[in-house]
Amino acid sequence: MSKSEFHRADERRFLDERGSSGPLAPNGLNPATIMEKAVRERIIDSYFYKEQCFGVNEADIVDRVVEHVDFIGGVAGTVQKPTPFLCLAFKLLQLAPSDDILNEYLQFGGEKFKYLRALALFYIRLTRKDQDVYKTLEPFLEDRRKLRRKGRNGTSLTYMDVFVDDLLTKDRVCATSLWKMRKRDILEDLDMLEPRVSPLGNIEDLLEEEDEELRKAEE
Amino acid sequence: KHWDDDTDPEDDQIDDTDDIDPEAEYAAWKLRELKRVRREREAIEAKEKELAEIERRRNLTEEERR
Amino acid sequence: MQHQRNTGHTGEVRKATAEEVHQRIELLWERLQERKREQVVSLQERLEVRRV
Repeated sequence: MSKSEFHRADERRFLDERGSSGPLAPNGLNPATIMEKAVRERIIDSYFYKEQCFGVNEADIVDRVVEHVDFIGGVAGTVQKPTPFLCLAFKLLQLAPSDDILNEYLQFGGEKFKYLRALALFYIRLTRKDQDVYKTLEPFLEDRRKLRRKGRNGTSLTYMDVFVDDLLTKDRVCATSLWKMRKRDILEDLDMLEPRVSPLGNIEDLLEEEDEELRKAEE
Repeated sequence: KHWDDDTDPEDDQIDDTDDIDPEAEYAAWKLRELKRVRREREAIEAKEKELAEIERRRNLTEEERR
Repeated sequence: MQHQRNTGHTGEVRKATAEEVHQRIELLWERLQERKREQVVSLQERLEVRRV
């Protein structure tokens, strides 16, 4: 049996290969260093990581999300404890799931379990090329489901579409610095992306509609 | 489950159940989406304005530039 | 070596395929629906008991 059909049960080799021979993510980054060192250390030290992320493969990830993830977030509380969401994202960096598997997380699984979709979106933002990030993430700007978010300032309510927008526009999400993607309009100029069409349709049409309604109201 | 031993009580107050009021949830989403589209449009307009300004300056004579 | 792998002594875990991930999602979803049905039933039972 070929070696590539197995994962290491623990993260030791993943961390040892830092900056050396480990395979890079599609966007050229080293998955072992995508999260900051201090955050990685907190994750590896956490009970959740030790007990729930050892000897886990791509299918077991789904179990862990369904059982333990009911909010998104990076680190929470006064002790800056990494959330199960962040720990599982770190595990994904180690497992490096294929696009086929990510598609299961996003679509079939994502329809049923919203936090599984959120986790896959976060992971894709960290590891995929910029045009693929836009192409894969933007359709989920239509997903209006609620998400609980836990952060430094306690727990709050957000939405899948807002989370996607954050991933596309912010520098930092869930205690992780997001690598700098080229802006959407630059990729459009390079013919690497088509202009985004909102599920609401053409904005000019929408504004016209609004004007039309105003005019009618005035008559 | 000792990894979430310090779960704060306010968590329970935040309900993430969907489809309680689908119409209101859709309306709220539509508002968010409109804001995003507007933001994108404004960014494009700002960029075009900037390009036009660069173009204008390029067309000025030495005299006018001073 | 093969034996060790099967018993998990090598510290390795088998990679999952997309198909296996799909099946796992299905299984977990079914399990969740089952649990929900049970909750409805037990709630009805409790209401029945109260009514008596």
